[in-house]
Amino acid sequence: MSPRRIGVLLAKELVWGPKGFVFIMAVAAPVIVSLLVNLLVGSFFSGKPSLAVFDGGTSQMVAALRANEGLLLREAGSAGAVESAVRSGAADMGLILPAGFDEELRGGAGTAVTVYVYGESLLKDRAFLATAIASQLRAITGDASPVEIVTETLGDGASIPWEERLLPLVVMMAVIFGGIMVPATSLVQEKQDRTITAVTTTTVSLAELFVAKGILGFLLALVMGVVILLINQAFGARPLLLIGLLALGAVMATTFGVIMGALVKDINTLFATIKGLGILLYAPAFIYLFPSLPGWIARIFPTYYMIAPIVEVTQRGASWADVRLDVAILIVLDLALIAVLAALTYRARRRPAMLPGLVS
Amino acid sequence: MNREMIFALLRKDLGLYFSNRFFAFITVLGLVFYAGMYFVMPDELDETVEMAIYADELPPILDTEMEDSGIILREMVSAEALKAAVASGEQEVGVVLPEGFARNVAAGQQETVQIYFSSAFPEEFKELYATFFREIGFMLTGQPLTIDVEEQILGEDRAGEQIPYRDRMLPLFAVLILMMETMGLASLVSSEISGGTIEALLVTPLRVEGLFTAKAVFGVGLAFVQAAFLVAVTGALDEQPLLILLLLLLGSVLVTGVAFLIASVASDMMSVMGWGIVGVLVMSLPAFSVLVPGLTTEWVKVIPTYYLVDGVYRVVNHGAGWADMSQNLLALLLFSVVFLVLGIVVLRRRFQ
Repeated sequence: MSPRRIGVLLAKELVWGPKGFVFIMAVAAPVIVSLLVNLLVGSFFSGKPSLAVFDGGTSQMVAALRANEGLLLREAGSAGAVESAVRSGAADMGLILPAGFDEELRGGAGTAVTVYVYGESLLKDRAFLATAIASQLRAITGDASPVEIVTETLGDGASIPWEERLLPLVVMMAVIFGGIMVPATSLVQEKQDRTITAVTTTTVSLAELFVAKGILGFLLALVMGVVILLINQAFGARPLLLIGLLALGAVMATTFGVIMGALVKDINTLFATIKGLGILLYAPAFIYLFPSLPGWIARIFPTYYMIAPIVEVTQRGASWADVRLDVAILIVLDLALIAVLAALTYRARRRPAMLPGLVS
Repeated sequence: MNREMIFALLRKDLGLYFSNRFFAFITVLGLVFYAGMYFVMPDELDETVEMAIYADELPPILDTEMEDSGIILREMVSAEALKAAVASGEQEVGVVLPEGFARNVAAGQQETVQIYFSSAFPEEFKELYATFFREIGFMLTGQPLTIDVEEQILGEDRAGEQIPYRDRMLPLFAVLILMMETMGLASLVSSEISGGTIEALLVTPLRVEGLFTAKAVFGVGLAFVQAAFLVAVTGALDEQPLLILLLLLLGSVLVTGVAFLIASVASDMMSVMGWGIVGVLVMSLPAFSVLVPGLTTEWVKVIPTYYLVDGVYRVVNHGAGWADMSQNLLALLLFSVVFLVLGIVVLRRRFQ
């Protein structure tokens, strides 16, 4: 294998690769999904009831409700904005506070207040919002509750917020899209255009071609993995270990992508195969979405060893010692895939039909 | 127009479509997946919270007030049993009321309520429960708030009969199925243009009108049959079947127009995918606004599929009828005709 020839091929990949649709998707899709997740986690996935408020004066209620982490507060600019927020479902409940509301309430006069309720809001959300509002009204009037609350947490489980549950899916998407799709589609596209036959009739070997295609996929998978962790503020803990883990995951994805690209004849079959395999590739990420599922199920899937160490480090503060067993399995899987690719490349010299369209 | 030639073209297109492994695969997989997902999702939306409670005597207010407020109380036999249930995660929240709680609070005494949370319970929700029981204390002492609350329910009050997420997602599934067919048809037409098959066909007695009629019938038929199959198996055709089928038919015409537009700019499978995914993203946006109310504002109405999504959603989940749907049908008809004509004109310019 000649590093110079690989360098020439890689340079060509770096020039032409980023112009392709799959490359653009590999960069854009994880970022867009990640931003969408962050947008939705604050509202839809939070499970918190939302309250729209318009304050015609300077009620202390708004600041108190803002400090309540159990609800999402939307401060509206007008009474009409409160009504439209509730009517559209953007808020479960809406509250319009007239000017001088606090003073009137403290004065004991029958203060009037308008409350809008979204017809499709959940009963539990209505109950908790009504209680939160009533509690703040009591705070204004200065009533002391006859009940003191003492709380205690029992058990040894942990609450896993949605942003943490969804992070493995987005990280896997970044690594798999860049690592598998980019080299696989590039190889198949070149087969269809017959440019690959032209290349392999020169002094360039099949192995050199695979390495060049693989390096581009590897770099893309690695960079996108880091970018997604950075966007999700999950890169702070042990960055070097994370880069190493992402690199091993990228090797797995890339080698698999090159094998797919080598074996599959046309782009339609490639997309169909990847679509069919998708559920197996992403299975561990889907299992992370439901923490109540038994953990051993995820361990059946090879891609578990790609994502599990990353999740352990980013979300549970694990160190190298904690993840070394999973990493060892990942390295074994990487080596096994590389061995499969090497065997395919070696045998294809004698039996070109094994890798159709690659060897002339 | 030669009817026999059009039928022959339809047979050829059907064969070609299903010879493309990717589109044949996702056509079948998509239908199975969306229908399967619908049936796997819960058929009702749980709008209640459950908490364990132990008290020697449950205050009457907790018996009567809780029934319709979305809070279910599970009475436990002892405080120890309650703590064990919370510690094991069987119950997320447990409340222990002290002996004589209701009587003592009503008599003006200060009492302490112990709330136990499972360790998996989200921290940010704990204060809501504490607030809830403080408020119960006020209610027991009979301290009313000097406030006149004017409560207005906006929209249909679905308390106790919420729309399950699977029924909210049905319009999204329908749009995704329709848009997937867009990519299939666009790929088919695009490959025929690139391969010169269309030019070869036009050398025969087949006229351009006949060619487009065959392609449009094929596109509309394939999209419509799949979308209709989905709504039929999910039981959405039980109410107003003709209205829903008409909405889907217009939606199929719309996406066929989109497919022609994509085929006019795409040269191969990859560019069909590129343009197709952009189309899918844009056209499915209105469905997300149904799934997450308040996600979008009025601007979403400029996206043609809004009238399809809104129509299917309201007919299936709110029992809307022909009169309620007149605007949706009109808007969808206009968009469908505009997109189909535009698609034909632009596509025709590509190969003529």
